[in-house]
Parts: sequence; C-alpha cells; structure tokens
Amino acid sequence: MLNGKIIENVLCAALCKGGDFAEIFVEDKYNSNIKLVGGLIENNMSGRDYGVGIRIIDKLNCIYAFTNDSTEENLIKVAKEAASALQNASIDLKLNFMKSDITNYNPIKIMPSSVEKKKKIDLMKKGYEAAKSYDSVISQVIVNYLEEEQSVLIANTEGLLAEDRRVRTRFSVGSVASKDGEMQQGSYGPGASMGFEFFDKINVEEVGREASRIAKAMVYADHCPSGVMPVIMDNEFGGVLFHEACGHSLEAAFISKGTSVFTDKLGQLVASPLLTAIDDGTMPNEWGTTNIDDEGTPTKRNLLIENGVLKSYLIDKLNGKRMNMESTGSGRRQSYKFAPTSRMNNTYIAKGDSNLDEIISSTENGLYAKKLDGGSVNPATGDFNFAVMEGYLIKNGKILKPVRGATLIGNGLKVLELIDMVGNNLSLGQGMCGADSGSIPAGLGQPPLRVKSLTVGGRMGDE
Amino acid sequence: MAYRELINKIFNKGKEKMEDLEVYIESSKQIEIKIFKGEIDKYSISESGGLSLRGIHNGKMGYSYTEKIDESSIDMIVNEAYENAKYIDTEDKEEIFKGSDGYKEINSYGEELSATSIEEKIDLVKKLEIEALSLDERVTSIQQCGYKEFDKSRYIVNTKGVDLSDRLNGAGIYIVVIAKDGDDIKTGMGFRMIRDISQIDYKAIAKEAVDEAISSLGAKPIRSNSYPSVIKNLVFADLLDSFISVFSSDYIQKGMSLLKDKVGTKVASPLLTIVDDPYLKEGFIRGFDDEGTKTTYKKIIDKGVLTTYLYNWKTAKKDGVESTGNGARGSYKSSLSISPTNFYIEKGNNTFEELIESIERGVYITDVAGLHSGLNPISGDFSLSASGYEIIDGKINRPINQITIAGNFFEVLNNIDAIGNDLKFGFPNLGYFGSPSIKLNNISVSGE
Repeated sequence: MLNGKIIENVLCAALCKGGDFAEIFVEDKYNSNIKLVGGLIENNMSGRDYGVGIRIIDKLNCIYAFTNDSTEENLIKVAKEAASALQNASIDLKLNFMKSDITNYNPIKIMPSSVEKKKKIDLMKKGYEAAKSYDSVISQVIVNYLEEEQSVLIANTEGLLAEDRRVRTRFSVGSVASKDGEMQQGSYGPGASMGFEFFDKINVEEVGREASRIAKAMVYADHCPSGVMPVIMDNEFGGVLFHEACGHSLEAAFISKGTSVFTDKLGQLVASPLLTAIDDGTMPNEWGTTNIDDEGTPTKRNLLIENGVLKSYLIDKLNGKRMNMESTGSGRRQSYKFAPTSRMNNTYIAKGDSNLDEIISSTENGLYAKKLDGGSVNPATGDFNFAVMEGYLIKNGKILKPVRGATLIGNGLKVLELIDMVGNNLSLGQGMCGADSGSIPAGLGQPPLRVKSLTVGGRMGDE
Repeated sequence: MAYRELINKIFNKGKEKMEDLEVYIESSKQIEIKIFKGEIDKYSISESGGLSLRGIHNGKMGYSYTEKIDESSIDMIVNEAYENAKYIDTEDKEEIFKGSDGYKEINSYGEELSATSIEEKIDLVKKLEIEALSLDERVTSIQQCGYKEFDKSRYIVNTKGVDLSDRLNGAGIYIVVIAKDGDDIKTGMGFRMIRDISQIDYKAIAKEAVDEAISSLGAKPIRSNSYPSVIKNLVFADLLDSFISVFSSDYIQKGMSLLKDKVGTKVASPLLTIVDDPYLKEGFIRGFDDEGTKTTYKKIIDKGVLTTYLYNWKTAKKDGVESTGNGARGSYKSSLSISPTNFYIEKGNNTFEELIESIERGVYITDVAGLHSGLNPISGDFSLSASGYEIIDGKINRPINQITIAGNFFEVLNNIDAIGNDLKFGFPNLGYFGSPSIKLNNISVSGE
C-alpha cells in the first residue's frame, strides 16, 4: 500500500523532535450498504475510505495525526507537524523491517464485491418477505445488507511491518409490529468475518422471521414490572452482560490510570467461582476476529477470569508501557482517524453445567431476558445498564407472560459475584462497540445464566 | 474553490451515464487535546475529508463516496453511483434541488478560536485539571480532561445550479472527575462549548464537575414508586435528541412514528413549545441545509400543538409540501436524511428553585445512561438507568443512584407540569439540542 522507503522516511520525520516510538497505519476500505424499506430498495451507498494515521509516543504521551493525502511529501509534512509538539533532539533511525508472518483465522471464499448486487438484493427481498408475511401485526420491515473489505498496513520504529485484510458481511432485519395504536420492534442481525459464503451459513428467511417473532411477542406484551429480582439471561447477545458489566472495565486504558474498579485486582477472586470469561481474537470467522490487532500485534486467546479469579486485562502497547506489561493483542481502532487503544475482540463467558430449563424451573419469581439490546458502563464506578429487547416474567418456575420495556442496571463487581447458575450451551452474538477509539465490530457471547438479584427497571405494574 | 476542476471532471464523466448530478464535499480540520496528571496524554491533529456523488439514472438516485479526493477516484465514484442507482426501486422520487431564492448572509466562523494559539488551548485544559483536583480532597483522579476543536467546510455543487459553500468552527472543553469516599466511587462532569477561549471560566467548569461528584457520594436507591420529578435541563435535552426521529417526516411516512396524522392536534402540554432555529445565535448557524435548501426558523410544537414535521425535498414531495430545510447528510458517507438544526424547548417562567420547591416528595433526575439502547423511538417507551436526588418538602434531601426511570415519551410530553427558565444545550450531535429543566407530574422509578 506504501513502499518501504516512504514508510521509513515518514517514520524518521515523525521522530525528528525525539520520542520513543512512531507508527504508521494505512487503511484502504471498500464499503457497501444496501437498505430495503417496505419491500423496495430505498438506498444503495458504496464507497472507499482511505487514509493514513501517524502516531508518536514520547514516554507515556501520545501524539496522533491523520490525513487522506498519502503522497510522500504530505505524509512527511503531517509527521513533522505532529512531531512539532515535542522539543527533543532528533533520533537517528535505521530501520530494518521484518515482515510479520500472519496466521489467517478468517479464510474468505467469495469476496463480497465480486458478487453482483442483484444476488444481494434477492436475498434481502427473501428476508423481507419472510418477515412481512410472518404475521398480520407486522406493519413495517427494514432490511440492511452490509459488506466491507478493509486492508491495513501497519509499520513502526520497532521494525514491525504487517498487513492484514478484514472482510465482513452482515445481514439484519428490523420488524415493526403495530396493534391498537401501539408499535414495538424486533431486530436480528447476524454478521461474520466472512465473504458471501456467509449466506450458506445463515438462512435469511429465518433471520426475517426471528425479527418479526420478537416484534409480535412484544406488541402483545405488558409493561415489565419494576423491582429487584433474579434475572436469567439467555445465550448469544446475552453476552452484553459481561461486555458491559466487566469487559470495558478490564481495558488497560482505565486500568493503567487507576480509573477502573478492577485496578490492582489481578489474582484476586472478583467473581462467582462459576464464572470463567475469555476474550479471543482468533476464533475462526467470528465477527470480532482479526489476525493482528490495529498495532500489528497478533491477536490471542486471553483468559480474563478463571473460576472467579482475575487473570488478565486487555492491553494495547501504550497502556502496556504504562503498566509495564505486554500487549495482549487488544489494540483496536475504528479507522485511520483514531489512535488505537485497548478493546475487546470476541468476549464470552465459558459454558457451565446447567441447562436453560433447569435454570428457569429453579427460579420461583423473576425475569427471563431472552434477547438483550445494547448497554453502557461507567468504568470508574462499574455502574452498568442494558436493555431487554424480549423478556418474559417467570412465576413458580414457569414462563408466565411476555413483558417489554425493561432495563437492567447494576454494578460490575457486584453482579459477577451474584451469578449463581451457568448453562451449558454457549453461543455468540455480534455487536458494534463504541468507545475512545471509535466504533468497532465486537463479538460477545455466553451460555444462559442466572444473576441472583438485579434491579429491573420497568414501569410500575400490578406484579 | 480548489475542487472546481475536479467537480467539473466528475460532472463531465457522470453526464455520460446519468441525468442530474451533485457533489457534496466535506473537508475538516480537527484538534484534540487530552491531559492526564498535568501532561499531554493525547494530542491529535488532522486534516481530512470526503467527497460524495449522487446522480440520477432513469429517475432513480444512486450514491457513492471516496476519501481519496483526486482524479484517480473519478471512474470509481461515477461507476458506483450509476450501478447503485440501477437497483433502486422505491417509488419515492428523490431529485436534485435547483436552489432557493435569497439565502441569508451569515457568518458561522469564529475568528477568535482559530487565532488562539495551541499553547493557550493546552494551558486551559491543564488549568482545568489542576483546578478540579484542588477543590476537594475526595477528588482522587480525573477520568477525562480534554479539548476538541473542529473547523469544517462544506461544498454543495450540482448540475441544476446550486453552488454553495460555508465554513463552521467550534470547540468543546470537558472534564470528568472521580471522587472517592471509602469504597464509594462517584463521577461528575463539566463541559462548555467554546466560541471564544477568553470567555471560558474554567473554574466554573471544574466546580460543576466536582460538585456533581461530591454531592452524589453516599447515593443509595430510593423505593420503587411513581414520583413527581424535575428532569435536569441537559438530561431532557438528551431525551429530545434520542427521540428526534418521531418528528421526522421520513419516519412518519414509513409508519415508524406515532405522530403520524397528528399535525394540527394537541400532542403535548400547552406549556410546551419546541423550536428548530438555524439562526440561533448561541447555536450552530447554517444558512442552507445539505441539499442546498434555505433554512428557516419554525416552531415544531406550538403551545402543545404539533405544527409540522421536519422535511427534506424527497419527503416533502411525497406529502405535497415544501422542504423545511432539514435535508441532512450525516456525512459524505451517508445518503440524504433529515436532521434538525438547533432544536430546543422554549424556556418557561419558573426558576429552577421554584420547580424543586413545588415538590413535596419526589425526585430530581440529573443523569441518565443507556440512551442508545434503553429507549424505543418507535413505541416511545423508555427505561433508563438514572441518578439524582430525593426531594422532600421542596428541598433536595439526599443523593440517589442505581435506579431507573421509565415512561413513554409521548405521555411525558403531556405530563409536563412546569418548565424552568434555565435553557441549556448539550453536546452537539447531528443537531444541537437544548432544554430548560422540566417538571413532570410523575415518573415511574424503579429502585429498592
């Protein structure tokens, strides 16, 4: 994407006022989005993201600059402008790039861009028909198709030179159900680090029916009651529990500054002994998998919590330097417009012994959150929240009725101790995670599990 | 204009395949400074941009974009836009606009900001951090302390005669402090939007953040119940932002907003007036929208009655009305959508103190979390993690947290009991949202 000589000259310019480390990140990305509303293609946008980010690290400080103009002349100008924030003597650099060998965890069979648009649109219309015809209460259906092919080149003054290509495909359906002047929605959007062969793995009609099933269930649901109760979270996107309640707070960006509730807790029991949690950037073709992170470090399987004991943080280079620890291959960024920082790849809770039926039948009264929506956390306090997309009240060990509009809140450190049953069927969901270095694809998952008591925020009801 | 020659070449090439064409270019400069323990934790500068092409082929609009703004991209964007247009099958017609009469002369560029040296800006952020750490010994660390500045130029040129450009700049400074008392940890935030650095009182920002953190130490949940409540101005502004799609003609036409068929009817308390004002002095001033339509001041809700939706030309044509000048491109990567300009609730007659005093037993909500997930613009339902204070006998009694507030946006609009005179704007998003503090008859609180 850029030749070695130019890279070397730019890195030298970046350290012309001193500094310990310089890095160049080159990105060339093709995106295509197609949107179908009410059965008709309404929008069709495609294009190319292209740019270069230059980072200088001086002690523990980071200088970052980016540009769309990748001529050598401009890159050197930008590198020097960035360097002008420093006042040290120039560093004499002799770089000998070692091209990294990369293990490919994401084999791609059919490049999405090589497939004609008509095929993609046919799939969208199929998904639409299945969603729309699911039930007469379904009043609107929106289908989105997304493909991206991101090529990156990363080089730094440690001699690293690495290239990677990330291909992702996603198909999502949002259904609206209307009844008696009320509207509810359901959505389902599987995605993978795969090419067009993704559609051999998923059935677009099932995706459409799933979105409509949720919308229909929720339009017939009562408001969720409020209160503190046991909550069972199902697998797949239920993993948002760990992602928000704990994952973000394990990111080195907060640990290294002492602003996370998990600071100085390595080796300590921080969760129920039933809990083992992993962040794994190497799971083949998973949504959050990359061969190398956005600093060029190979991704890894990182055991975060084992039987309740905190084993590892998620670490990028700069925060690793602050903490005197090695990168865990967790330096990620949305694009060349962001300096990388520690982030999650695919984060999940390992499976346990129980099955979902047992968990439900051993719960006298509580909430069964079958589908969860997004959430957020304040890493300093550990206070988190996330929304329930599809919920059911449990009475005497049985599912009583669907309920809607619930939000679950709690505190990360406390909730991990309160997990008292862990199921045996793990599965993963796909999300977009927003934080300091932008919005990135993140996988998340868990088996079904129960939290002994959690605050459920619904509307006051008769329960 | 530097892009003139490139645009002409794109049009020449595009005309071979498409009837009408439009180029939308954004070019922006950004500066970001973050301070941690008196040192520059992150300093980021950038110049970047992108070019979007949209073009009509057989009456259908296709889009494409590139961040490589040079001749090497011409073939790619023309081909992509053409290919993309071929597959559009919606019956809603999207056209390229011919331009308005009489654009207002405005200046949305602040010279003061660009004239201030980077050292002064860094110095201001450092002072803010030191000040916040000095105010109370329970403030143990700073989670975030930074400054962000943008300088954005916009060009809209099309083959029907629109040829417009403008430049907008602004900055924000913010701090999030962490206060500790034993095991109890709380955070507090302060921020200002900046037009002129010399006008910024960093001590006041630090004090706001520290007061918020310290006064919430010792917070505990409150009993689940339905309470009269005061919603802090910034929190209500965020709610308005999160539910903005209910006012969008696009969502109305797709059957995804419950305000469908409600123009001219009462949808809110008679106390409530909501305005979209592109010329608001303290706001972001824009003389034309992202389609090149002249922007206009308008009331969206006037004393409780819905007066209009927000329109671009595509949706206006479908409803047989004029565009309200709210055509928006989220960025050059987005197709045409709808967004407000400066969108706010007009201030009322009560002071903040009067709002609090009017409540015998209730809650004052100062913070909510989960706005991107805990609310549903289609149903209007929301359930949000919240914190604030308990009100007893017209006075703030104690801090509360680990609660949720839940309700329905459309019911909330009707439930407004009084409106404060403390109009304040939040962080700018696609639009710029403001609200005074709002008193509600009741809100459902889930706690203990």
